This record gives sequence, C-alpha cells and structure tokens, in this order.
Amino acid sequence: MKKSYLSLKNLSRRPGRTAALVLLTAFIAFSVLGGSIVVSSLRRGLNSLEDRLGADIIVLPSSAQSKVSFEKLFLQGTTGAFYMDASVLDEVLDTPGVAAAAPQTFLASLKADCCSVKIQVIGIDPEKDFTVQPWIQESYARDIGEMEVAVGCSVEAGVGEIIRIYDERCRAVARLAPTGTGLDTAVYCTMDTMNTLLQAAESKGISHKITSDGDRQISAVYVKAQEGADIDQLNSYLNGHIRKVTAVRTRSMITQVSDSLAGVTRTVRILIAAVWALAVIILLIVFAMMTAERRREFAVLRLIGMSRRALSRMLLTESLLCSAMGALIGAVLAVALVLPFTALIESSLGLPYLTPDWKTILGYALGALLLTVLIGAASSAFAAWKLSHADPGGALREGS
Amino acid sequence: MTLKAENVSKQYFRKTGQANVFFAVQDVSINLAPGQLTVITGRSGSGKTTLLHMLSGLLSPSEGKVYLDDTDLYALNDADLSRLRNCSLCVIPQARSAVETLTALENVLLPGMLYGKQDKTADALHWLEALGIGHLQNACPAALSGGELRRMAIARALTQGGDILLADEPTGDLDDENTALVLSALRAAADAGKAVLLVTHEKDALDYADQMYQMNAGHIAGYCSKEG
Amino acid sequence: MKKLPAMVVLILSLGIMIGSQTFLAPCVHEDGSFGSCHWAGQMMLGVGGLLFVLSLFACLSKDGPVRKGIYLAMMPASVLGILTPGTLISLCKMNAMRCRMIMQPAMIILCVLILLAALIGFLMERKRA
Repeated sequence: MKKSYLSLKNLSRRPGRTAALVLLTAFIAFSVLGGSIVVSSLRRGLNSLEDRLGADIIVLPSSAQSKVSFEKLFLQGTTGAFYMDASVLDEVLDTPGVAAAAPQTFLASLKADCCSVKIQVIGIDPEKDFTVQPWIQESYARDIGEMEVAVGCSVEAGVGEIIRIYDERCRAVARLAPTGTGLDTAVYCTMDTMNTLLQAAESKGISHKITSDGDRQISAVYVKAQEGADIDQLNSYLNGHIRKVTAVRTRSMITQVSDSLAGVTRTVRILIAAVWALAVIILLIVFAMMTAERRREFAVLRLIGMSRRALSRMLLTESLLCSAMGALIGAVLAVALVLPFTALIESSLGLPYLTPDWKTILGYALGALLLTVLIGAASSAFAAWKLSHADPGGALREGS
Repeated sequence: MTLKAENVSKQYFRKTGQANVFFAVQDVSINLAPGQLTVITGRSGSGKTTLLHMLSGLLSPSEGKVYLDDTDLYALNDADLSRLRNCSLCVIPQARSAVETLTALENVLLPGMLYGKQDKTADALHWLEALGIGHLQNACPAALSGGELRRMAIARALTQGGDILLADEPTGDLDDENTALVLSALRAAADAGKAVLLVTHEKDALDYADQMYQMNAGHIAGYCSKEG
Repeated sequence: MKKLPAMVVLILSLGIMIGSQTFLAPCVHEDGSFGSCHWAGQMMLGVGGLLFVLSLFACLSKDGPVRKGIYLAMMPASVLGILTPGTLISLCKMNAMRCRMIMQPAMIILCVLILLAALIGFLMERKRA
C-alpha cells in the first residue's frame, strides 16, 4: 500500500463529500475561465472595432435614422441602406485638414442564396479606400474584380463559391479575418459591382429610392484628418459647411461601446467574485465540518505513528486531488459552453465580440486551473493544521 | 525494551471544589519490563487511561518523564516520537479505533504502511484468524460489531510487532470465550519478550498478570507482583 | 449506480428530442419555407429518439452483457448526432442564424456527453464482467 493509497481511499469511499468538493472547485474554475474568455473577447472586439472604423470622422446622410443604422450595422450586423449625393465626397476632399476620404455604398439584399435573411453588401472604391482594403488584403493580395466579392467570416460561403444577390452571380474570392463586429456578416465589392447590383434590385422592383446610376449616390464617407489637425474642429466644419449630412467622430461611437463594455465587464467580474466568495465560504464550512467528523480517524492515525506533518500532507493531498479534478472539469465545461456559443453570446450582448486565439485561451485555462487548485488547497490548510494538532487521546476518549 | 514513567503527573485547569487545577494523574512511577504483563486496575476516573496515554507518547505529562530505555519520549520532536510509536509502542485504545474507509485487513496493515516497512500481510491474516475474525478481513468497519472491532484493533497492535504493547480495556466488548482468547494472546506476547500493559476492570486478567497496580484518584493506591 | 450512465443518456436524449423541436430548434423562415437546417433538426429528433429507446432498454435490462451491448450501440448513434448538423446535413450560411448559433453547438455538446456516458457505461459493465 502506498501512502497516497490512503488519500485515494478516503476520497473514493466518501463519494458524496468528494463530489461536493469537486463540484465547488469546478464552479470556481468555470467562472474564472468562462469570465476571462468573455471579458477578453469583449476587449478584443472593442480593439477590432477601433481598427475597422479606421477613420477619424464618418460623414453620413443627415436623416436621424442613418446614424442609428450605421451603428447597428457595425455592432450587430443589422442591414442598412441610406444614401446621399456623391458630390459630398468632393466637398469633403476640398475641406482643409482632410488627409484622405473614402466613399462606401450600402445595399441590403432581400435574400441571397447563401442565406435566408438579408445580407449587407458594401461597395468600396479600391483606389480611395483606406479602411476595408487593408483588411481585404490580409486575405486576398489581388484587387477585387467585376462581380467578385469578399465575404465576412460569418457568411458561410467558401472561396470560389457563387453567391446570388438579386439574382446576379457574384464569386466569393476571399473570406475575411474575423473582426467580432457586425461587419463579419457583410459582403464587400467594388462600386462597379455595386452599380450592377443596384440595377438588378431596381429590375426586381426593389427601390432604394435612388437612381440606378450608383456613381452619384453614396452611403458614407470615411475621413482621415491630417497629422496635427484638430479633429473636433474639422468635425464641426464638416457639419456646418456641407448640406444634408451629419459628421460623426468615430471616437464617440467607440466611447459609447466602451462604456457599455465596461458595464458588462463589471457585471461579469462581480459574478465571478460572487461565485468565488460563495465557493470559498462553502469550502471552508465543508472542511470545518470534516474537522469535527474526522477527529477520531486522525487520532487513530496519530496513535499508530503518523506524524503531524504526514497527517497534514494526507489531508492536503485529498484536497489537491479534489481541486485538480474539479478545476479540470470546470475548465472543460467553460471551454465547451463558452466557445461553441460565441455567436449566441455576441448576439445577446450586442457588442463587438472577438474570441481570443487558442494560445491565449490555453493560458487562461492554465491560470484558472492553478488558481482553483491553490484555493482548494488553501481552504483545507487550516483544517489540516487543526486536525494534526488535535489531542488524539481526547478524541479517542470521546467515543468510549 | 523497557518503558518506565518517573513521577509523572497530568494536571488540567478545571474548577473543582476550591481549586482551579485538577490532577488526573499525580506523581506516578511505573516500570514495564520485557517479558512482563502488567495490569492496572481502578475505578472509572482514577487516571488509568491518562497514564496509558502518557506512556504511549500521546499525552505529554505536566511533570515527570517517560523513558523508553534511555530515551526521554517527550524530548523528541513529533516526527521522531511518531516513528518510535509506530515501531515500538503498540496501543490498543479503549474506544472504536478503525479508519472507516479501509477494510479490516487494510486497517491491520496500516501501521506497516506508514514508514514503508516490509509486507506483513501474512502476520495480519494470522492474527485475524487467531482472534476469530479472519472471515471478516474484507469487511468495512461499519459492518463489524463492537467486539469484532476490538479484536481488529488487537490484531493491528500484534501485527505492528513493537516491543511494548499497551492495551486499554481490550476485553470490554467481548464475551467470555473471546475474553480468554485475547488475554491468552497478550500473555503469549509477554512470554515472547514484549512488555505488556493491560488497563482493565476484568478480574480474570489478574490471573495472567506478573504485576498489578491499583489506581485511585490519580495515585497508585496499591501494588502487588506475582513474585511477592 | 450501475445504471447511472443509462439514466444520463435517457435524460440527455430526451433533451435532444424536445430541444430539436422547441428551444434548440433550427431557423424559422419568414415566408414559412424550410431550409436544409429544418431537416437537420428533424434528423436530430430521430437520433434523439433512437438514443432514448436504447437508454430505456439499458435502464430496464437486468443483464450486464446486454447493457454492455446497448452502450456499444449508443456510441455510433451519438457520433451520427455529432455529424448531422453541419457536416452530413448543411445548415444556413450565416453564423448569426439560429441553426448555427444555437442548434448546432447544443446538439453537438449533448451528443458528445452521450458518447462519454455510453463509453463510461461500457467500461463499467466490462469491468463488472
């Protein structure tokens, strides 16, 4: 019989208590790892949002709905279609303090054969664009051609696959890297392709309240300010000097999202802390009860010559085994529940959400495992000390 | 090996009458020589069990010393004293003393497991059979009666193989037949060269003893030996 | 205790059956038409039913070798359940669609748990034999 045999026997012959300890530590590990993945994904989503917005200012049509639609498109992937005259681009380019300006045109399909719901089509000018083009080039080195599209990662269309939008055949030439934003559900094309699609929409009786001469209508202008320019001042100037448009600082959108994110993160952290506190309190209570229950057993072990140190070590081995098992179960559950349901979490929160890579998740998992095992062991430390220093004679006498 | 207590006392702080101190054992000297079976008798509360615990290294005396040969037990650190207890001092406690998660055989083998000694399964099975509970070797303590548990504890002490055997009321739960069996086993252990101490109310035990101490209110009230 | 894996499979397969038609159901299209994901959901109803019946037999059986055989049969059935949504029967192409967001991960997790329970049950019966 090895010394660890006694610890294993103690655990296996008391399945109820062992299961309770394993369950408690599993809760701790689950909450730590699950919470870390969610918080990290939200942070990465926010950073990704900042990267994808790319511009300092976005100029939109002045209708009240267009700003809301734009935010919903970015955050939730809700389709939007709003338009202004293409001359706005020239006015923006002529504004002092503007380093670059890139137009985009939005179109919501009624239905694409890839999907039974609307998808967002975004037309870009490859020569002027500085936000989407770099992102496309991460996955596709060439320029997107006529009737070719780059699809966001949430659109399940393979490279080379044909997508029909308003019955027009478009070939997917690239799948874009995930951003964790609503842009993952969009499809990107050139302005020429956009013109064709707009005409196709018209022919199907779907009016977007614009002429099919798409060159003359755009949905947004992304503005990059010159180095050292006062962006607030530029923003005010654009609002004041260009008719029928609203200029929005991207920072305000990011700040809004950041505030929401801070709220969600705070809630997640409070939940984790609550689970921890409750689990630790219950662990301490369980070990305290065990102290009373096992006094005689430990007295017998002292009687036959087990030293205090060996006794403490035996109890700590038991708690370490339980904690390790619980930590492993909790970590596996966290990964099994949080990762497969990423889309659901993202949809529920309505915030940018970008899952970390597997190395980061592995790091979080190891951290959660270590922390849980340490908490489990620490909870038993006092009980181990108390039991090993108890008067064996008194404990044995109690039963006589 | 010889186990002896020199002027040992054990006091507890407890209000009794006019005093705040209670002496469970007061100024007791006792000598356990190899090959001898010593019996201690006395009323309940006379300090017999307290004295046994001090002799077995479980309870440090308030005054006096306990020697195993020339070694002062209570001058040792916990690790050394525990090891000594495992190797030399075999205790049969009064109360139920099984590890509930182990079988009867595993309980008997437990002392041998602690310091990686040689396998004593054969000895364990022999003593379980000799004490009439060989058929219960794979039973859990919860399934054993008080008498069977007592015999298991005796088998454990005898398998442990130490030179000193300290038994606290080992025949308490036993019928006449098993009482005689246990007393014979302890006598045989003494004849084999061990120093055996038996704390008991059992009158029959006196027939097996080489010397007898009578305790009363923590003192030695009487002594007689077979020679005398 | 010895029938615990069968009871676990019973509950989980019931979850698959009920879930595939209710809270884990695939997409409902606005025009009432069926996409391929609907048929994936129907297939999961069948797989869940098969596993439910097998687990019921295992719970009622008093014969260890028979239970061992039933656990063995549960394993390929649960693998079928894992492969059905998305691999054997295609789903909608948007990740935000209900079939991909809820049905697929939930069904896969339930079937993996059933596979584990069946494996544990099989090993327990083998050890007992």
